[in-house]
Amino acid sequence: MEARALTHRYGHRPVLDQLSFAFQGPGVVAVRGPNGSGKSTLIRVLAGLLRTSGGETTLHVDGRATPSRNRQRWIGYAGPDLSFYPEFTALENLTFAAEARGLARPAERSRERLEKVGLAARGGERVHALSSGMAQRLRLAFALLDDPPLLLLDEPGNHLDDEGRQALATLIREEGTRRLVMIATNDEREGALAGQRVELGTRGLGDPA
Amino acid sequence: MPASGSSSGRAVWAILRKECRSEWRTRYGLNAALLFAVTSLASTSFAVGRMSDRPDVLAALLWVVLLFAALASLAHTFVRETEGHTMVLMRLVASPTAIAMGKLIFNLLFLVSIELVTLPLFLAFMGAPPPRWGALLAILALANVALAAAATLVAAVIAQTRGRGALFAGVSFPVLLPVLAAAVSGTRAQWSGAPVGAELRLLAAYAVALLAASLLLYDHLWEDA
Repeated sequence: MEARALTHRYGHRPVLDQLSFAFQGPGVVAVRGPNGSGKSTLIRVLAGLLRTSGGETTLHVDGRATPSRNRQRWIGYAGPDLSFYPEFTALENLTFAAEARGLARPAERSRERLEKVGLAARGGERVHALSSGMAQRLRLAFALLDDPPLLLLDEPGNHLDDEGRQALATLIREEGTRRLVMIATNDEREGALAGQRVELGTRGLGDPA
Repeated sequence: MPASGSSSGRAVWAILRKECRSEWRTRYGLNAALLFAVTSLASTSFAVGRMSDRPDVLAALLWVVLLFAALASLAHTFVRETEGHTMVLMRLVASPTAIAMGKLIFNLLFLVSIELVTLPLFLAFMGAPPPRWGALLAILALANVALAAAATLVAAVIAQTRGRGALFAGVSFPVLLPVLAAAVSGTRAQWSGAPVGAELRLLAAYAVALLAASLLLYDHLWEDA
């Protein structure tokens, strides 16, 4: 994952300013910085959900640059802005996502991912009945759905209890041996899992440049 | 690993099935649309009685009922995704064009469902003369495609704006007007025994133009949702 002179502004306020980096998977990268420093913005930019004000990002898979318009096909994303259809069950949501992505064995694959995040027993419940912690596990299951070369996790420990955080740590360690995992976090336990870091600490809370 | 580009059709199919299942579970639009259609037809029938000798009024009334019965649901196709914060999920699993095509086909099916109930009721309540079925069905089919394409396009454009309701009414009026004018004119002509070729050609051309514009525009929408 490569970023060159990445710049993003909200109005006149710069959040990312000429940020450049290159990371090669497998491995875990922590994106760190105070509130408002642009962690979530960076993750959304890398996921192709937000167009930057300047600079560019390139995702290389098997030595070839992937088309930026199709970025979503190559990444697994879990962030607070990811919501599911409340009238569907957790399993139905994942199965829909797998079908829309054209994945093989969508229902079976979805069950496997729910099991991986400890949500198999609640897979038949509608999403509106899930707790915040369960919804967070569902986000993680969604991110893992496609076995993507790049996992982008924005505050993955949000709403998780101690058991959930331990399971998350195990999952990040495991996934970090197979692919590139980038985590936006201020949690020391999650940060400690990372071998490399992007520090966005120079400005926080919207401090103007 | 990522699927190949041939998955666009599967994405459209998955989104269409998701829309149908969601509508079936929530009855978000169907109940309101059918309630509007039945009550408006019943109240008009009670007020003015049968109008078998007024094909002009019948044609206008039919399309007013169909349009307003379906419009609320058509307008909300994308608003539901925005307000439910599910647009990110959609964007992560399918291309904008696949999303829009899935929703467009759903809107088309929704219109057909409304018409399957509304048209027989209309003919019964209003005492309309027997239609020339071939001409009427052709007008309905082409107008449905044009209406679904127009409503989906406008709904997609306004989904991320504030004041969506007011915007939809303002933006969709000029886009829907040619469809309504041609549909009303064609429906009146088929009841009057006049040819409907000109209206069919206009509806077909407008539907094709709207579909082409949609395919060109959808990929540029929702980049910063």
